[in-house]
Amino acid sequence: MKQKKTSRRQFMKNAALMAGAGTIGIERSVANIEDANLPPSVPEWMKKMGRGVVTVPYGTPSPYEDKVIRRTVPWLTASPISSISFSPLHELKGIITPSALHFERYHAGVPEINPDEHRLMIHGLCENPLIFTMADLMRFPSVSEIRFIECPANGGMEWRGAQMEALQFTHGMVSCSEWTGVKLSVLLDEVGIKPEAKWLLAEGADGAAMGRSIPIEKALDDSIVAYAQNGEMIRPEQGYPVRLVNPGWEGNTSVKWLRRLELGDQPWHLREETSKYTDLMPDGSARRFTFVQEANSVITSVCPEKPLKHKGHHELEGIAWSGRGKISHVDVTFDGGVNWQQAKLKGLVLDKALTRFSFDWDWDGSPALLQARAVDETGYVQPTLGQLREVRGVNSIYHKNAIHTWQLFESGEVRNVQID
Amino acid sequence: MCKLTESRLIFLLLISMVATVCKAAPDKYSIGSSATAEQISGWDIDVRPDGTGLPHGAGSVEDGELIYEEKCASCHGSFGEGMDRWPILAGGEDTLTDDRPEKTVGSYWPFVSTLWDYIHRAMPFLQPQSLVDNEVYALTAYILYLNDLVEDDFTLSRENFTTVKLPNEMAFVDDPRPDVENQRCMQNCRDPESIKITWDSTDLGVTPTEHLQPEAVEDNAVLAAGSPDSGEQTYRTACSVCHDAGAAGAPVAGDKSAWTARLEKGIDVLIEHAINGYQGELGYMPAKGGNPNLEDQQVQEAVDYMIKLVN
Repeated sequence: MKQKKTSRRQFMKNAALMAGAGTIGIERSVANIEDANLPPSVPEWMKKMGRGVVTVPYGTPSPYEDKVIRRTVPWLTASPISSISFSPLHELKGIITPSALHFERYHAGVPEINPDEHRLMIHGLCENPLIFTMADLMRFPSVSEIRFIECPANGGMEWRGAQMEALQFTHGMVSCSEWTGVKLSVLLDEVGIKPEAKWLLAEGADGAAMGRSIPIEKALDDSIVAYAQNGEMIRPEQGYPVRLVNPGWEGNTSVKWLRRLELGDQPWHLREETSKYTDLMPDGSARRFTFVQEANSVITSVCPEKPLKHKGHHELEGIAWSGRGKISHVDVTFDGGVNWQQAKLKGLVLDKALTRFSFDWDWDGSPALLQARAVDETGYVQPTLGQLREVRGVNSIYHKNAIHTWQLFESGEVRNVQID
Repeated sequence: MCKLTESRLIFLLLISMVATVCKAAPDKYSIGSSATAEQISGWDIDVRPDGTGLPHGAGSVEDGELIYEEKCASCHGSFGEGMDRWPILAGGEDTLTDDRPEKTVGSYWPFVSTLWDYIHRAMPFLQPQSLVDNEVYALTAYILYLNDLVEDDFTLSRENFTTVKLPNEMAFVDDPRPDVENQRCMQNCRDPESIKITWDSTDLGVTPTEHLQPEAVEDNAVLAAGSPDSGEQTYRTACSVCHDAGAAGAPVAGDKSAWTARLEKGIDVLIEHAINGYQGELGYMPAKGGNPNLEDQQVQEAVDYMIKLVN
């Protein structure tokens, strides 16, 4: 085991300040707590009136939650206009990502689109090319589906080794929303696809006119032309006023700010499906159209951002997801994969959605190597990083869905590590 | 014999009327307007490997070099070598099996059409869809030349487009996954003694971890206008994209010679250009650097900060 580097971690400074039986760390806010608001005193907010209705017409989180935000890693990209941010998975509960915390990925920034001036055009190999206004799209029967969207580069910084000291950066390119819109198959029926149409080009109305080729089978299966997210119109960051959602597939195919769908007899091989979003193998070959996001999972309640502060009971929690369907099992280990125990799946277990797992655990203060391992309904078992590397090497960037390891120290500190 | 009573007849009639009014989902909803040929041609910008979608036109390596130097080199480098973290366009031949492969147009991309299509739809960064078709042909030709794939007297046109092949075309294969098989072992799955920690994320120290510190102010947060360092903060988050390296003809921050002529226009003019955008002979300034959420005062403070660097 490597020597611990204690100096870099503020947690260790905190741990040094620890006091009292049962606790092994302190909350940064402990020092700021006013005794005057604690029992037996009556807290000050009970002695006056609060703000009235519509003081904040569109609600915002409590100011005490101001650390629950998206973050980026600035050195990853040349410019924030063409970059990525990460969801704060360590702070989230349940399976729905608040829209304002959904991870971001732009190729040319967020276009500011007037929905009245936005159009969706469907043309190419069809009988009746059509243009839809937003009002047109909303006249069609709608569906609402809870589906995850994950950037295929999620975790891609760690093919060679662990380098991100936070769950937000190791796994935060995945989010899950309830998407409402028209099934793409309904719109394709409306234009009348010709039998020779095998592919669909989806193109965005951003400054990159970001486009991807989608096989017609997917378009006719479960793709959604979505205009709402979690009950309200989609956020600008997520494609306002309308986006494609290709459930279970790499997020880049779920083209945002969707303006055009063209039916064709072959794929287009645009930049985002050749130069990028292709997987380079050790033999120099490159996989293209690697659409599915295979089963993945991570423990979120114990992670670098959430060191343990107490011995005793912990509800170990995390999220699992699979682009091939439902999660059937999640197992957890505390000894680096020697012995595994089945976690329970909590709440809704949905197709191609984040699924929350939980395991009741008594921590006795011992060091541990924590991992989670997801199994989906096809029987696919989430692989180890070693297994992935053996086939794909370390230069394929995308689709790293390996079992992830958190190293737990006696101090309660948690580190992102990789094990052999 | 069956004799329908009058009430039964009325009942059946009602049923059939209800069925007409409430009929199940139709084959078509007749929603939307027909897309005219003119509307389609304005939006149908894609180009395929077989040349489908290419407009008439042509452009030479020679013409491409001039446009490239003016509009592309500030990010991609004069030889396609890539400045900072902007994409490398040329070189990297035979590196795909190396430990550190260099994926460029010449070494990795499968089709010339991808290059034409992408330049046309998305480049130059900050001014997408501003190039005319012949300029796109010329730039495509020049980038092929930077990759030693055509000679310096080459002219690319719709007619000869599909004769140019990229060397890596045949290396692309379809998705074979699932390609890795793990077992759902539950007990004694491996020898505990064999477990070694091979990587510790804290060794490199490359994660932004300010937010994990108590009472931290995060680096990437834009400070409110009026706070002491907000000009520099705004510069770092919104302006440095171009003004660090001189992208899109931007005057490099701290480069006195680049700023002299501009300062002669007066600070108010510079601030006005920064807020509302400006197309000059030397470069293009998008309104608020492409960050419409910035307050005017934040932009002004960022301009003041840049001026301070050259005074």
